[in-house]
Amino acid sequence: MTRDPLSLSIDGLKLGQKFWALISFLCLLAYLVISIYPFLWMISSALKDNREVLTNTSLIPKEIHWEILVDVWNRLDFWQYFLNSLMISVPIVIGTVIIYSLAGYGFSVTKFWGKEFLYVFFMGLIVVPTIVVLVPLVQELRAFGLIGRDASKFATYVGLIIPAINGGGPWAIFLFRSYFDSLPRDLRDAARIDGCTEWGVYARIYLPLAIPAIATVGITNFISSWNAYVFPSVVINNPDWYTLPLQLRFLDMQTVVQWNVRMAGSLITVLPVIIAFIFLQRYYIRGLTAAAVK
Amino acid sequence: MANSATTSRLSQTMANLLTATRPGQTVWKRLKKNSGFLFVAPAVLIFLVFGLYTIIYSFVLSFFRWKGSSIFSLFPPVCEAPGCAFWGLQNYKDFLYEDKGVAKLFWMAMENNLVVALVVPAATVLISLLIAIALNRAGRAVPLFRTIMMLPMVTSGIAVYFAWSSIYLSDGPLNAMLNAAGLGFLSAPHGWLGTANLALPALMVVMIWSSVPLAVILYMAGLQTIDQELYEAATIDGANSWHMLWYITWPLLRPVTFIILIFAINNAFQGFDLPLLMTKGGPANHTQVVGLRIFSFGFGDDLQLGIASAMGWVLFLLVFVLSLINLRLFRPATEETRE
Repeated sequence: MTRDPLSLSIDGLKLGQKFWALISFLCLLAYLVISIYPFLWMISSALKDNREVLTNTSLIPKEIHWEILVDVWNRLDFWQYFLNSLMISVPIVIGTVIIYSLAGYGFSVTKFWGKEFLYVFFMGLIVVPTIVVLVPLVQELRAFGLIGRDASKFATYVGLIIPAINGGGPWAIFLFRSYFDSLPRDLRDAARIDGCTEWGVYARIYLPLAIPAIATVGITNFISSWNAYVFPSVVINNPDWYTLPLQLRFLDMQTVVQWNVRMAGSLITVLPVIIAFIFLQRYYIRGLTAAAVK
Repeated sequence: MANSATTSRLSQTMANLLTATRPGQTVWKRLKKNSGFLFVAPAVLIFLVFGLYTIIYSFVLSFFRWKGSSIFSLFPPVCEAPGCAFWGLQNYKDFLYEDKGVAKLFWMAMENNLVVALVVPAATVLISLLIAIALNRAGRAVPLFRTIMMLPMVTSGIAVYFAWSSIYLSDGPLNAMLNAAGLGFLSAPHGWLGTANLALPALMVVMIWSSVPLAVILYMAGLQTIDQELYEAATIDGANSWHMLWYITWPLLRPVTFIILIFAINNAFQGFDLPLLMTKGGPANHTQVVGLRIFSFGFGDDLQLGIASAMGWVLFLLVFVLSLINLRLFRPATEETRE
């Protein structure tokens, strides 16, 4: 292949192109700084004493106060509320993945009466604002005995988990269906001819191949349930059952806002998600990519 | 002749009945043909109980006046007299124009909401598209850069609101940076969230900040599907970068833009947790949004569940119409380009 003189190779850049390359590099750099700055600020504030947070706007503390992080860790009672959060987030992730991978398979591969209509209907649900159904949802959960003075911790959590699974439904169906659509249909046909049942095709062939889609759906729902504030704050009425974000809200109930305490608590709350995400991001991006460019 | 037609139709029906009653034949076949529904059944079931029911309930409730203390239920339909009353369209009329105080706040919230719904999606699309193109051109994104870039997406929620709130403080780093850069006249001496005209833009920055990463990932995925030969051909024909962006990249990314806009429009109308946690609608209702109003009527100080539901439906209608416009603008083109 002969080299095209106009191709955009680095050494062949003209002055104008160099200028634009520089501009785009600077834009990326600026964006990078804006992305990470709030986290750096969070970390730095967590290590300052409260007076310094409000007077020293540099990211580097004059004196590092590890004791605030330790103190907040204890006051936040990290492990208890961490476990509470996990007890809600993990079932939501598992439930969402199981229920909607099944549905995604049904919509992608099988045939049944009214399939297209049902799919479009589910996609239409994406535009129903959650706040619209929040009031009736709370009434319904109360009628089922899942919230209220007599409801147990287990019942309250069930009341939090099932509607959250339902809420993540349309997007999860979309992702799974798109992903299954991208797999070659011969896989399924060959397996069926060899006597594999529809269920067998799903469980033994399609699901194991859908790791990226599972990761994307799982991570999306884990993040949203881990960070959820409004719905849990309405449903949970016993402070011992609070999730980490709720507990964080009640960390400083003093007249003077203690920003360093807030930042330390925030840091402790977001760290588990960040760590989990760093390990799983590769799969997350792959699943999302498959859906975006179907 | 008519007679024979009737007889033949009759015999046809008889035949149908006979085959239908033969066990293990048509009925079973029909069930088996539709057995794919079983895969979808759990999703449908959970939706019927926790989705459809609440949607119907909310719609019916929007025509009642109820504070939640007496009994209101759908099955069986009960509306216990003193605390609950049929109110017809009055709830809608109240917050749309009749009850002056409520209506004024509602329209203020609506105005803010429309600004958010216009600015945030547009800015998200613009910024993320430029970043995606720049990243794409830089070759493979450095993994570290990619991870850092996605941080805002991972940690929405209360922690990040705390971080931004403190950045926006009057003594916070944003003002300090502006002063240091000699742009002190741009700073907000009373804090960004405490200044009437700056609070909403400040909130929108946080919204854009947290919605850009997902959009960048989606756009980068979309960019990788575009055939490079298109650009090469365009270069030979003398097209410049803007032409290529406008005539090749943008049209081919339409399906991705569609998905991003669906997200962005939804978030713009649903995301009231941000004003709830950072400003509570203040100062002087300058960051009041419809979601916040609904929350106030549904769970807060104003407790009127009927009005909360009615407002919810007006909001739904708005999101629905905007989504249809989005569908019109960005979806049909995909079908054309695919064919």
